[in-house]
Amino acid sequence: MSSEPIERRVSYLGDRLKASRCKICGKEYFEVRDYCGVCGRKSFGKMSSIDLFYEKGKLELCTLVNEPTNKFMKLGSYIYGIISFHKGKIRVPGRLTDQIINDNEVIDPSSFEGREVVPRFRRRYSVGRNEVVPTISLAFTLADEYYPHQEYSVVQSTKEYDLPGVVGYGFYTSRFRIKEANLERSVPFFDEDAVTAAVEAGKLALIHSAVDSSLVGKVYVGSESNPYAVKPIASKVAQVLKLGEEDGDVQSVDAVDTEFACKAASSMFKDAAALVSYPKSGLKYAMVIGADNSQAAPRGCPGGELDMFVGYGGSAFLFGKHDVIAEIEGWYSCTSDTPDFWRRDGEPFPMHGGRFTGDPAYFKHVRKATTKLIERLNLQASDVDYFIAHQPNPQFPVKIAKELGFKEEQYAVSLQVNKFGNTYSGSSPLGLAAVLDVAKPEELILITSYGSGAGSDAYLLRTTNQIADKRHRQKINVNFQAENPFVKYVNYTTYRRLKLGM
Amino acid sequence: MQKRPAIVAVGRTKFGEHYGKEPEKLIEKAWLCASQECDIERRDLEACYLSDCFLPITNKLGLEEGFLSELTELHVPMEVTRSVSAALLAASHAIQAGAYNTVLVGGIEKMTDRWDKIRDDLMLLEDPWSYYAGGTPEANHELMLRAYVKKYGIAGENLEKLNLALAEIAVKNHAHAMKNEYAQFQRRITIEHVLSARDAAHKPLGRYDFAPISDGASALILTNEAKAKKITDKPVYVLSCSSATDYLNFPTREDLAHFTATRIAMKNALEATGINISNISVAEVYDQSTVMELVSMEDLGFCEPGTAWKSIRGSCTDYEGFYDLNGKKLFVNTNGGLKADGNPLGAAGGAQIFEVFRQLRGEAGERQISFSQDSGLTGVSLEFEGFGTKAYVNLLGRDSNE
Repeated sequence: MSSEPIERRVSYLGDRLKASRCKICGKEYFEVRDYCGVCGRKSFGKMSSIDLFYEKGKLELCTLVNEPTNKFMKLGSYIYGIISFHKGKIRVPGRLTDQIINDNEVIDPSSFEGREVVPRFRRRYSVGRNEVVPTISLAFTLADEYYPHQEYSVVQSTKEYDLPGVVGYGFYTSRFRIKEANLERSVPFFDEDAVTAAVEAGKLALIHSAVDSSLVGKVYVGSESNPYAVKPIASKVAQVLKLGEEDGDVQSVDAVDTEFACKAASSMFKDAAALVSYPKSGLKYAMVIGADNSQAAPRGCPGGELDMFVGYGGSAFLFGKHDVIAEIEGWYSCTSDTPDFWRRDGEPFPMHGGRFTGDPAYFKHVRKATTKLIERLNLQASDVDYFIAHQPNPQFPVKIAKELGFKEEQYAVSLQVNKFGNTYSGSSPLGLAAVLDVAKPEELILITSYGSGAGSDAYLLRTTNQIADKRHRQKINVNFQAENPFVKYVNYTTYRRLKLGM
Repeated sequence: MQKRPAIVAVGRTKFGEHYGKEPEKLIEKAWLCASQECDIERRDLEACYLSDCFLPITNKLGLEEGFLSELTELHVPMEVTRSVSAALLAASHAIQAGAYNTVLVGGIEKMTDRWDKIRDDLMLLEDPWSYYAGGTPEANHELMLRAYVKKYGIAGENLEKLNLALAEIAVKNHAHAMKNEYAQFQRRITIEHVLSARDAAHKPLGRYDFAPISDGASALILTNEAKAKKITDKPVYVLSCSSATDYLNFPTREDLAHFTATRIAMKNALEATGINISNISVAEVYDQSTVMELVSMEDLGFCEPGTAWKSIRGSCTDYEGFYDLNGKKLFVNTNGGLKADGNPLGAAGGAQIFEVFRQLRGEAGERQISFSQDSGLTGVSLEFEGFGTKAYVNLLGRDSNE
């Protein structure tokens, strides 16, 4: 597909799986329709819009595709079939994703028939590097495996807080991992990238917060692996997750991408918090997402040292003043022009300054931001319950935590780099998600991000009673994905192939 | 009945790979064959109906009428359709309406010019949403087979028999094609070939279950009855051209185990002509896969739903190639079908009509079937556009007194 207007229409329907239902006879259609084919003229204006984005389907019929069409060739073999929703009232074609089928593996596709599946937002197929990246949610995963079906049901907010803070959050990473020595890292499937991770994380945040997506007035997406040099990830997130009031085929939401290496997302926490607090904004919630398919040159090439640590995933946080689970008590940010890690436009992989990325870069800025914030708030390191630092590798966050006087019980929960790798913009937010997964009410959380280039943002959050109340809404939390029995391990060759994607 | 449309001559090329030939060279050949057979000249043509499914994509030809005009040096009305049956339908209506007395109906396709991309093109045109979801041209056939197996609860030994029956369809069609000089694959295959290809692919259907990608052209000359009788003493009348349509998106169709459009088109054709299905002795069905032939036998009404595989078993194994329908022989795809004769989309329907024409006139050479006294000289061809999205049923017949 090279024609962008066609691409727009296909993804407008397909990303969200938009459908219509006749209010007279109940017939459903996988498309946006003005009238029902059964009821005819009298059904004009009586079609309701529905979509299958949060629904659970059933794989009715399937077959093995092991000679795909050209655009699907990079997927190799996959199960493809017909999926029904709403007890067969609506049927769509779809492929099972997140499955690696080896060439000589004997598969009985009929064994998949009758199983429940969840629609997943993914890249549609391969295109040339200068074309629009096509997406679709006609990719499905089995509901009883890595990613269970979760309902998205809106709950009215009950309490307004004095301070803005986190209302809900989500962390998403793929089913695939590479394990080398003691380090496990997430690897995207062929059809995943920073955009799909951002959408997944945002979806999980909406499910956890139970906030009506039309009340989200702004979305920021921080990433350093956007497949586009020009075209925001945030616009895709806004459209797919229906953020802001829907007005025709346009969402009443402000969406913007931010970039500052690994602090592109965490930097915007205060902006989101400030925005929801501004009395004239009329904006109840703002979402911040950090998502990356962290890039690294292959080992043995310049910059290839990063290949030992890069991960894949996204974290999303919804900020507001209603039903807050963690209030923001303060922050401190610092910046210097320090070229410790960079990627020039048009280059596929970043470069870094070797030992220069340590003391003069990471440690200097994390130290500065953390100590300044502690000073400002008249705290001691021992006063906070959890400390989270950016995690480019397993050593750096531990070293800085110890240096700043934090004990292992304060920072151990946040250390996720051993399980998921460095998820770049999603890295310190992932640590925050892991902490919020276990924190009790009235605990203090200190998070300090780091972005090469360079700068740090330190935030102090205080949890509320609602953190415990909302926990049951999210099954797919950090630990669920870390300890998931359906995780698939891949070797180095497959990892590099998956990383490059479709 | 003076305006009843009648086919007076047919022509075609060999189907297969014609790398060296321009598309117009193929239609020229087909036209010449037909023209020589009936002594109709270019200048006698009052209109042309040409079909091609893909030329704008495979050969970047957008205005096919233009090259046909150039080729024939004619300036008569010309129309392009997607299938020969659609062209025949339009031409027959025009003859019946008295608009013309003599027209050319032709079909052409040049798929191998775009060999490396044709499956993507086919799928995108045939069923875009299935394409976007990762579907292939073959996958819809396999899903239909799954739907069929589930709908009729075919399991265990019966499932093995069904799979064997499908293999026999391919074997039968190859056996027929060996006697067809125009066929793409004039070679015998065995059940073992079909089964081992399935095993190699780890799939229920293998390469021998599917029709190939082909180049080729076909042509026929259509006149009204009065004119036809002056040209030939064996005109083949177009008794009915009937068509019906179904949804583009296969998964959304009501019945995934059958082609609803075929059922409707056949029902309408039989009702319009008053012909009893038991009087049809030769059928050309659209077998892009063995499943498609099997299901079409039921959709046309020759076999009860869910039973065609039983009729095939024990009748095709001897390569005589007929379906045993309650003791009556029905010959299907005697040219080899799309499977072995070839599958140049826009021309394939012409090859089907070519075959029925030859059979009804007793000109099918080694493939000639014998028509019994009690059943009339009637044949049927079923052509699809897309995966059963459009079904065309053409009833062709000779008058018993001619």
